[in-house]
Amino acid sequence: MDAVPVRVLEYLTEVEEAAEDVLTTKQQIVDLDTKRNGNREALNALKNEMSDSEKVKVCFGNMFIKFPKSKTREMIQKDQEQLDKEINDLRSALKAKVNRLNVMQGKPELRGYNLSALSTDEVRAINNLLKR
Amino acid sequence: MASTKVPEVRDITRIERIGAHSHIRGLGLDDALQARQVSQGMVGQLASRRAAGVILEMIKDGHIAGRAVLIAGQPGTGKTAIAMGIAQSLGPDTPFTALAGSEIFSLEMSKTESLSQAFRKAIGVRIKEETEIIEGEVVEIQIDRPATGTGAKVGKLTLKTTEMETIYDLGNKMIDSLSKDKVQAGDVITIDKATGKISKLGRSFTRARDYDAMGAQTQFVQCPEGELQKRKEVVHTVSLHEIDVINSRTQGFLALFSGDTGEIKSEVREQINAKVCEWREEGKAEIIPGVLFIDEVHMLDMECFSFLNRALESDLSPVLIMATNRGITRIRGTNYQSPHGIPIDLLDRLLIIATSPYTEKETKQILKIRCEEEDVELSEEAHTVLTRIGLETSLRYAIQLISTAGLVCRKRKGTEVQVEDIKRVYSLFLDETRSSQYMKEYQDSFLFNETQTPSMDTS
Repeated sequence: MDAVPVRVLEYLTEVEEAAEDVLTTKQQIVDLDTKRNGNREALNALKNEMSDSEKVKVCFGNMFIKFPKSKTREMIQKDQEQLDKEINDLRSALKAKVNRLNVMQGKPELRGYNLSALSTDEVRAINNLLKR
Repeated sequence: MASTKVPEVRDITRIERIGAHSHIRGLGLDDALQARQVSQGMVGQLASRRAAGVILEMIKDGHIAGRAVLIAGQPGTGKTAIAMGIAQSLGPDTPFTALAGSEIFSLEMSKTESLSQAFRKAIGVRIKEETEIIEGEVVEIQIDRPATGTGAKVGKLTLKTTEMETIYDLGNKMIDSLSKDKVQAGDVITIDKATGKISKLGRSFTRARDYDAMGAQTQFVQCPEGELQKRKEVVHTVSLHEIDVINSRTQGFLALFSGDTGEIKSEVREQINAKVCEWREEGKAEIIPGVLFIDEVHMLDMECFSFLNRALESDLSPVLIMATNRGITRIRGTNYQSPHGIPIDLLDRLLIIATSPYTEKETKQILKIRCEEEDVELSEEAHTVLTRIGLETSLRYAIQLISTAGLVCRKRKGTEVQVEDIKRVYSLFLDETRSSQYMKEYQDSFLFNETQTPSMDTS
């Protein structure tokens, strides 16, 4: 007998789940970007401030370990590449998730977001059209 | 005597003009594409509206690009109204270009040129621009200048969002552009990663009380949310014609100022077509076939019709909607008779929607809608009288009488238009039948009268 309320509840749960999913992904991107910026700062510090020392102290979890500088830099750079890739993947996934949420809520799908972007040269060429 | 001229300050109140079809907001169809009797400003014409609805859905799905539709019917049966309804329901995302058949005849541009421009205005291209930006509120800028005054400067820039904060090392170039833009702590800025261009969005709300006096142009914005390094994507819709214009501006700024773009070389168009097709294949662009509406299509001549024939076959072609009120008549530029004044070969490619004259009830309904649109109160009897006038003369004439009767009514300080007001304007302004009646009676006293002239040549 209570088929309708149950269905409404199910639907709302589904929408909430999708929305939660979007928010989690956003937070994840923020966290990864924080890490990325931290790494970037570390690389700068290695280059500028630690230029004379042979070994540096690196914090792993809650422990400091003395580590050769070149090795450290290599490690961070690898981590950085990994982060860049991960953030890009998350961003693409975010788009699909937002679209799914929109469909569920009966909102129109975002148009044109599945296009690949114009290259910088092409953008420059038609720039005065775009900046009307 | 020298007197300084005081600039005249005039308060320009915006005047809302009311067009003949301003009351139309859509085709007035329900979800099953059935026409409602009265909806969205449309009345009656159920069959033709339903047909237009089917076409509309096909346009939306992108199915019938490169096809043409003809709306045919007597004068005053809502042909333009249906076209307007289609335009309104397509929404702002689909390009809709309207032009009257006689607009293409001009001395500055050839007929086919203005037709091809109209065709290309009706095709949209959707493209995406993507930029990596760093967006945040400036917490601190620290610049160390060398003591000697010359040499490399070094600096640090601390940026934050609501979630995170980080320090950037600044190079010489960056320091220069930061000081040129007078960026200081508390500003919200974006830095384009590819070009290094800095733009100030405003000052952060949290720093609103830093200074007591601030220019009126100071804008306050929220501290940005989320990550510092963002990806910004903007989708633009431009028409093919706009891309053409930019690429054909060989004479530089001249074309910009005169507003007249002149003729565009066909090589330019071909290049653009090739480029756009390349983009489409690379997934960089979507083509949105729009709608080109040509009213009074019988005004086009033979050359235009053959051009249309050809243009419809191109793979970048919009949906062409034409309207005409002619029956079997001479095709302009020839001596051949043809239905609707359109050559048979073109007619053969068209989907034809016919409109039929309005019934009394529908006429009454339309007049009511127009009264609301023109803000005129009509009494019940006046409404009935006006409906009769509309049936016996023409709907357009009756619609004209609404606003004139409204004025007469206001003159006598009435609030509602009565039968007397209608009678008065009916005697003041002649309708077409009475006017020709009058001509026939008094033709001898007019200049240049030629009694034996046949009825108006419609070509």
